[in-house]
Order: sequence, then structure tokens, then C-alpha cells
Amino acid sequence: MTAESAMQLIDVKKNIGSKQIIKGLNFDIYPGEVFGFLGPNGAGKTTTIRMMVGLMKLTEGDVLIEGKSIKTEYKEAIRRVGAIVENPEMYPFMTGWKNLQHYARMMPAVTEERIKEVVTLVGLDKAINEKVGRYSLGMRQRLGIAQALLHNPSILILDEPTNGLDPSGIREIRRYIRNLAEKENVAVIVSSHLLSEIELMCDRIGIIKNGELIAIETVQEALNKTDVKDIHIEAVPLETGRNIVQEKLQINAAIEKEELVLSAKREEIPSIIKSLVDGQVEIFGVQVKRSTLEDKFLDLIGENTIE
Amino acid sequence: MNLVYNEQVKLYARKSTWIMFVILAVIILGIAILGKTVGDLGNEEYGEDWRQQLEQENAELTEGMDEEQIAYDQVVKENNYYLENDIKPQNYDVWQSVIDNSMLSALLSLFTIIVAAGIVAHEFRWGTIKLLLIRPVSRTKILFSKYVSVLLFALTSLVFLLLFSWLTGAVFFGVNGINPTLVLNSGDGFVQVSALHEITRSYGFSLVNLVMMSALAFMISSIFRNSGLAIGFAIFLMMAGSSIMGFFLQYDWAKFILFANTNLDQYYRGTPLIEGMTLPFSVMVLLVYYLVFLVLSWVFFTKRDVAGH
Ligand SMILES: Nc1ncnc2c1ncn2[C@@H]1O[C@H](COP(=O)(O)OP(=O)(O)O)[C@@H](O)[C@H]1O
Ligand SMILES: [Mg+2]
Repeated sequence: MTAESAMQLIDVKKNIGSKQIIKGLNFDIYPGEVFGFLGPNGAGKTTTIRMMVGLMKLTEGDVLIEGKSIKTEYKEAIRRVGAIVENPEMYPFMTGWKNLQHYARMMPAVTEERIKEVVTLVGLDKAINEKVGRYSLGMRQRLGIAQALLHNPSILILDEPTNGLDPSGIREIRRYIRNLAEKENVAVIVSSHLLSEIELMCDRIGIIKNGELIAIETVQEALNKTDVKDIHIEAVPLETGRNIVQEKLQINAAIEKEELVLSAKREEIPSIIKSLVDGQVEIFGVQVKRSTLEDKFLDLIGENTIE
Repeated sequence: MNLVYNEQVKLYARKSTWIMFVILAVIILGIAILGKTVGDLGNEEYGEDWRQQLEQENAELTEGMDEEQIAYDQVVKENNYYLENDIKPQNYDVWQSVIDNSMLSALLSLFTIIVAAGIVAHEFRWGTIKLLLIRPVSRTKILFSKYVSVLLFALTSLVFLLLFSWLTGAVFFGVNGINPTLVLNSGDGFVQVSALHEITRSYGFSLVNLVMMSALAFMISSIFRNSGLAIGFAIFLMMAGSSIMGFFLQYDWAKFILFANTNLDQYYRGTPLIEGMTLPFSVMVLLVYYLVFLVLSWVFFTKRDVAGH
């Protein structure tokens, strides 16, 4: 990519005690993109994020934020960043509004109007004068996002923002994250241990396992529609089915565990089923396995061992 | 400074801080009421014939005592001092009650320790430290603002203690002039001092202890990120300090122990704890401890990772 990176990780390593928790991460995040940071629990997402925002020192490597090193130019670097790290913890004995004011006072030029603006953006207008101790987890997530947006950051880091949210909450977060990336050119980093919760909001997804980045994939919009998928068909008799698919449709098919397994594009599925039905094959079920990314991720999760 | 303002907002947004002030107020009122009713303070009036009154008091007191007992009786001694120096005794009033309340500065130390112990550790317990530190502000400044906030709290509660004591005393015992002269037992005989001087002295010395103990609590809180530990340890040392001293008195190095030096009053009344100790020596020792406490707080707060768990 030719664009200037918003954030660059250069061979980032972290040892805690004698254990290497992060084993050399290298990747760039660009303005206007939503980057998914995906990995099972204990993979090292939060640790990496803590290093990105200077809460933890790097054992080796560097993090550059708009070219500024978090190690040597901390203030200039962090000024551009808004973040939630792990749970969005606020002062429970103060109202949402007082909490936001508190953080606003720590940053240059955040006006009352700006605070009101972010409150409206995250939809907390009604509850903002209630004590945070009475907020639900979902409300605290929103307040956490509001807090991270106060100073118009060019990089937004959200650690598991979908935790504790119901599907409609997740959809809403997805909406403002997409908005920020597309309209305000913010680089957004969203971590999660569930692909399904973030795949729709991300442009790219990096998969981390045991402290190593094992894949970075671009999530194409087209992925869901035109990509080749694995299709499993429970059909009787299997042999006949396979012959029909291979001879009439020129699609390779295999028989696995009483199922016909084949790879095809989404728009081919209706004609495959029609041919089978026309050929007197009875169909008991059709399963379309999702993107290859999910397969990859699930495979990885299965193997992930927490040492 | 915005950061100090933030700390004060957080401090006073919590009920426990207000409870401290309420406790202080209730105790001050309680002491005044008890003094007035049970203690019979301020009901004794000396008039024009104060010399006769004192003689009569002495006569009543010494009835049935032998010479030796009389020689040791503090009240008789005090009365004789008035008579010998021809000073009319002051009636118990607001100034004396404020001086008596200087013992409450121990409570002030306690409250300041609690605040100092919590101000860093609570941010860790609540998890808010993460959001606090990811700002374009150095950790040094954040820690400094917290320490300033502790001192500000100590100052505020001291002013509260003085004002509230004065008002309560004035209501219960009346006011004898702006800055009357009082006769006090200095340890080796009676002396005359002005009330304001005595108030400054008694509260001033107790502040030394307050500043040292809260710095200690602040340090423990920054190092271990645990307020309970900091409170427990600092209060234990504050209470047990003098007994611990008794333990080590025999050793040479005992004079370098913090608690040998926190009571600066020892150079004004009575004799120093250990022979050879002087006021400048104690001030130096205290200063060194103080700097060590603050530097250690700073090192641990600014250099250590903010990790989970
Ligand atoms: N303070 C710590 N001390 C020791 N090990 C830690 C510490 N923090 C995290 N870890 C370990 O580092 C690994 C990564 O943790 P974390 O970054 O929280 O994972 P994630 O956020 O991806 O769930 C885990 O194996 C965890 O046990
Ligand atoms: Mg995590």
C-alpha cells in the first residue's frame, strides 16, 4: 500500500518474566480502514494494545503513530489516539457526563460542545446524568467509546468493544465505526475473539495466536457473495448425486461422511439442487460453509493452546 | 492546574470523603458538649477577687494532704504560679478549647493517610488508571497532581478543624479577647504564652507527623497499588511508632529511625529522646525519609507497566 500508515508495529515483542507473550508483531494500519485484531482469549491482543498506548513498555521493537514513536515521543504519539483497553471502566460514583469532563480536562481543546456531540453520537443523551455505577455493560461500552472520541483522534483502538453487547448493540457500534472510518478517515483497530462479531465491520483482519500474527486477510465485500464456498449436501443416493454434479455441471464432488461435498459459487447453488432433484436424488439438508477466513480462524482456535 | 482540579473533583464526589468531615464535626461538638456538662469546663468564673478564689481552691485541695503530696499537685502548683506572678487566671474559653482539640490532628493524620493510600491504588482497583494514563500528560505530572491533592485535602481538613473548633468553642465557652495570654505547663515549670502561638505550636508539630505518614502511605499505595495495605501499614506504624522506638532505643542507630524524629516538640518541651539528637538533625532525617518516600513513589509509578490482573 502506498498510503501513509496511521500506525506501524515494528517487530514488537514483550516478555513478562521469562515468558515471551508477544513474539514479534509487524503490521501497518492505514487511515480510513477498520482493522480487525482477531484471536482467541489469551492470544495477546490486550497486551499488544497496552503496548500500542504506552501502558506497557515494549521489550523489543517500536510502535509508530503517525510516524512518532510511542517510546520516545509519547505525548505527540498518544495525542492522536483514543482507546478502550479491556473493559471500559469509569468512575462509578460520578455521572457519565462528569466522567467525560474529567478526561476532557486532560486533553487540549475539548469543548463542552464536543462532549455533547460525542454523547449524542453514541446515543447516551438520556442516561448521561446518571451515575456510571448504574450503567449496564452496554452503556459503559458506549461511554467508553465516547471517551475515546472526545479529542477527535485519528486512530481509535477498541479492545473487545462487542463484549456484553446484544446483536443490535453490535450493529450500532458497527455503524459508527464504519462512519468514522469512511467519513472522518479514522484508522480503527477493533479486537475480538469472535470473527462473526467483527467481520462485517472490518476491511482487514489480522489473526493473532500465541503472540504471533499468523495471517492478515482482506475482507472483500464480495467475499460473501461470489467467493467459492464449500457446500455440504445430505443426499440419497450419494453416488447418483455425485455423478449428476460431475457430469452435468462439471463440478468436482467428493463423498465425505454420508455427505456430498463440493466447491461452488453462491449463485450456482440453486442450479445444483435443481439438477439433483431432477435426477431423483433426495435432499435432506444443504449446508454452506462460510468464508475460507472463518475456516482458517476456527482451525487456528482449535489449535491454540495457552501455555 | 486541571489535573489537581480533577483529583479534587474525584475526591469530593465520594461519600467517604464527606463522612470524614462529618466525623470530625461530630467529635468536636461532642467534646464541647461533654466538656460543658460533665467536665464542668467554663463554668468556673474568676472575678475581681480571684486571689481569694485561688487561695480557697488551694485550701480545699490540700486538705488532708501531706507536704509531699502538696508539692506534686499540679493544680496547686498552677494556682501558686498565678499568685506568685500576680496574673489573673483566664476563664476556660474558645482559645483553650481549640488548643485542647489539637489532639484531633491525630484523626486528621488518619484521614489524610486514608486519602493518600487510596488516591493511586483506587485507580488501579477501579481499572480507571488505563484511561487516565493514555493522555498526552506525563505520568510524573499525574502523580504530582495526586500528591498535591493529598496535601490540599490535609490543608482543607486542618482549616475545617480549626474553624469548626473555634466556632464551637466560641458558642460553648465564649471568647476572652483576641489573643489572650495563657499559662501552660511546659514540662519543666509554668510559662506564659500567647494563645495563637500555642495553637500554631501544637497543630504545627502534629503536621510533621501527618506529612510523613501520608507520604509513607502514598508510597506504599504507588508501589503495591493496594490501598488496604497502605492504610494498614501506615496506621500501624503511626500507632505503634513510639513503642517500636522503645525497642530500639538501646542501639546507636536508633536516632535514624523515622519515629525518633517525628516529634519535634521534644526539642521545645522536655528532653530529646536520645542524647545528642538536635533539631537540625531531626529535620535532616525527616527530609531524607520524605524524599525517599516520594522518589520511590515516583519511580514505581512512572516506570512500571500497567498490566492486567
Ligand atoms: N501481567 C501478566 N503477567 C503474566 N502473564 C500475563 C500478564 N498479562 C497477560 N499475560 C498473559 O499473556 C497472554 C496474553 O494475554 P492477553 O493479552 O490478555 O490476551 P487477549 O487479550 O488476547 O485475551 C495470556 O497468556 C496471559 O496469561
Ligand atoms: Mg483481552
